[in-house]
Amino acid sequence: MVVIGGGPGGYVAALKAGQMGANVAIVEKEFLGGTCLNYGCIPSKALLASAELVHRVRHAADLGIEVAGQVSANWTQIQARKDKIVQTLRGGIKGLLGARKVTIYSGRATLAGPGNVVVDSNGKSESLTASKIILAVGSVPSRIGGWPTDPNVVCTSDEALHWKTLPKKLLIVGGGAIGCEFACMLQPLGVEVTIVEMLPRLLPNMDAQVGELLAKIFAGRGIKSFVGAKIENLSVNGPAARATLSDGTALEADRVLVATGRRPNTAEIGLSSVNLIVDRGFVRVNDRMETPVKDYYCIGDANGRCQLAHAASAQGVVAVENALGHGIAEDSAVPNCVYTFPEIASVGMTADEARAKGRPISIGFFPLSHLGKAMAVADNEGFVKVIRDRENGRFLGAHMIGHNVTECIASATALLHQKASMADVAQTIFAHPTISESLKEAAEDSLSIALHLPPRKMLRVAGGVA
Amino acid sequence: MPTITLAAAADMRAGTIRRWRKNRGDAVAKGEVLVEVEGETAVVEVESTLAGTLTEILAGEGKTVAVGAAIATVASTDDKPAAIAVAPKGNVIPILMPKAGQTMEEGTLVKWHVAIGANVKKGDVIFEIETDKANMEVEATDSGRLSRIVLPEGRALAVLQPVAYLADNDADVDAFIASQGVAPPPQPSPGVPGEGETVYGTRHAASAVVENGRPKSSPAARKIAAQRGIDLAALSAGSGPGGRIISTDVPLNVPPGKSAPAATAPAGVTRKRMSQMRRAIAKNLLLSKQTIPHFYVRLTIDADPLFAFYQAEKTRYPVSLNDVVVMACAKTIMEFPAFRSRLENEEIVESPSANIGVAVAMDDGLIVPVVMSAERLSLRQIAGETKRIAAAAKSGKIEGMGSGVFTITNMGMFGVEEFGAIINPPEAAILAVGTAREAVVVKDGAMRAGRVMTMTLSADHRLIDGATAAKFLARLKLILESPSQLA
Repeated sequence: MVVIGGGPGGYVAALKAGQMGANVAIVEKEFLGGTCLNYGCIPSKALLASAELVHRVRHAADLGIEVAGQVSANWTQIQARKDKIVQTLRGGIKGLLGARKVTIYSGRATLAGPGNVVVDSNGKSESLTASKIILAVGSVPSRIGGWPTDPNVVCTSDEALHWKTLPKKLLIVGGGAIGCEFACMLQPLGVEVTIVEMLPRLLPNMDAQVGELLAKIFAGRGIKSFVGAKIENLSVNGPAARATLSDGTALEADRVLVATGRRPNTAEIGLSSVNLIVDRGFVRVNDRMETPVKDYYCIGDANGRCQLAHAASAQGVVAVENALGHGIAEDSAVPNCVYTFPEIASVGMTADEARAKGRPISIGFFPLSHLGKAMAVADNEGFVKVIRDRENGRFLGAHMIGHNVTECIASATALLHQKASMADVAQTIFAHPTISESLKEAAEDSLSIALHLPPRKMLRVAGGVA
Repeated sequence: MPTITLAAAADMRAGTIRRWRKNRGDAVAKGEVLVEVEGETAVVEVESTLAGTLTEILAGEGKTVAVGAAIATVASTDDKPAAIAVAPKGNVIPILMPKAGQTMEEGTLVKWHVAIGANVKKGDVIFEIETDKANMEVEATDSGRLSRIVLPEGRALAVLQPVAYLADNDADVDAFIASQGVAPPPQPSPGVPGEGETVYGTRHAASAVVENGRPKSSPAARKIAAQRGIDLAALSAGSGPGGRIISTDVPLNVPPGKSAPAATAPAGVTRKRMSQMRRAIAKNLLLSKQTIPHFYVRLTIDADPLFAFYQAEKTRYPVSLNDVVVMACAKTIMEFPAFRSRLENEEIVESPSANIGVAVAMDDGLIVPVVMSAERLSLRQIAGETKRIAAAAKSGKIEGMGSGVFTITNMGMFGVEEFGAIINPPEAAILAVGTAREAVVVKDGAMRAGRVMTMTLSADHRLIDGATAAKFLARLKLILESPSQLA
């Protein structure tokens, strides 16, 4: 088996294949760990941790701590710490692959006809043959056609994670997870941040109330958000960028971060040599990760099913199991987290999605302002919201914003994976005091049996007569 | 009897019945809570607007009802149910089989759109009938509670006969029916364009009523009787008005000793009722051709590799050329979600799998059994499946009915070069496959003898655009021209 791409999809697939006894090679053109470890999840979380500490220290007085003198962030040191974490983890992956006897090729892989992969590295070219090939080629940040390309001014997350200096005024294009995380990270470090989102709210793919609360919290910190707004024109003049919105508003910045999504990295990997075609750049697969061409599988960002690292890893396992003859399909709830502070996490259906499916739902809601643990840690903005099917009682989804909720979503995901009823969620004992116990409270609210909330809104109406 | 309906509360559009606080037969006071109804963010208690007795619960616990729908009936203390049992006082309105047009004799009730207990409003479509000419929806011309249905679905009845009754109280209906023999006929009103004389309570005569020298009978009854070889004169009086024999009065088999003389027909012309299958084909394909904006894309492929591949595979197990096309289509459909989509209202519903219908010709029509999740099957499995489902279909069991996303129809075995097909609704497209015929193939400027095959895709333009259809066919061509990947 040859796995093309060493990100969280590819390296996990290679480990799985090794575990199952296959003769497996992995080809990586840059760094093991892919986008997740080198340009995404891990470095951004390292930077966010520094930023959050600055933010907390500035509010230390809330917890009775007096900080003498000025708190200042050293961007160079912050970057160096992040780089060290990334280095350590790359070494870890290499060690794991070695332990599973996976052959690692450093170079660019190209498909060269059925069963053949050519690896080019430093001008040398080597040909590999395989009976099964897994494409885990990932994605790259999308750019906007027609916009200025000066990499010192108009950047994507790839460059922003490695900035040597911070901008004074940053314009972030796109209010999704990446845009919001960068806004949240850079504001405490002294950057004046403005977000422009085309859709009517921040985090448009998540529960509506989550994005609305985040925009309010951001506004309180001085992060400006323009939602439902389109940039008509962007010009760069020396180190200054100037954007004009469709309503005529002019925004100025010394750097622009384009965070409008990621596109599949499938253009130059020789798909046509094996008759594989792409659909908007994605190599489409079924729920067994099989492409239309026998013995070729595609996992992760490049297949367009779900652009999340943990989804790619899960798909990697599915692809390998199928390639090695065990028929399994992808059928698990995938949690989705945004690492702003407060954190955001969700799993399953939103209220809008359930309504669109025609399900009668009941919404359970628990505000963290009522929660002992949240008050104790002086971080009690946020809520947990759950969606229950009123007719069959099923737990359909959970949506959270607040302190540490990216950890709390695990229990909701486990329950959803087990296809629990909302009564099962409400009957689970959660430790007290924790943030996660708000999931139980919200579940109880959706069943109108919450004890730590005033009785659920009870309306009384006279029946109609016909 | 009045019904209590779910009233609007806050932004609730529908509620799920959580708990009935009152049971059937309980006395209720005005303002007392009858039931708790759950909305998205609140629980709503519904009070009784009337004092009286809860006579019927129309929506059980766990059921979701829309605002405005009936949830219970309450006999108000102002009603006098005791008196009703003795002498019907409540208004009873029969709903009649309409006479739509001069020639209509009887109608078959196809579907009831309302259930017993429902409140019917003037203008609501309450049932659907089928006549020998058309299907039609029948609207109520009066409002009231549907108390009793006397004509179930699938049964026929002569025009202007009651099919149901509107009444506040069921007892009224019994009294009304019991009294109809002597009571003056009520105003023929609901559901009916009042035409012709309405006759109620006619007792069936012992033997067929003769009129102008032949049994009084409907044309439909005469037609069916002729088909079944039954002599109408030998039957007893029918259930139609004035003892008229209607189609449902005609027995299925010839009663012993009552066979009719051979039916006479003008020489050379035969007339027979459409079979169930022909009617289904007619209905489905008429609907398709009239409501789906079809467009057609045609493409001819180099069939040499395909033919060679099929010949080679056939030496190992029984497989048809069409099975290879099914497999290639399954692979292609998985890459083009539009080809496994259907329209539902204004939504596009995408199926996760390539369930492919394979048209099978029958003596009197055709059927389309479905190979489920063909994308997961090997060629050998597909070959086995198509054989199995075709055999099952011919013995009357059609597999996968309604779950197909795409149909393949192949007339190659008849030597047909190319043809266009009608989409099998609610699918988005159908592929018509011609024969893999010998032809002069021109490639890179040189001529050689080879085989080509023409495929015509009919697609629903609401779901699929020309470019998508072209890409689909191009992709299919690519696969069929290098079929070894299907092995």
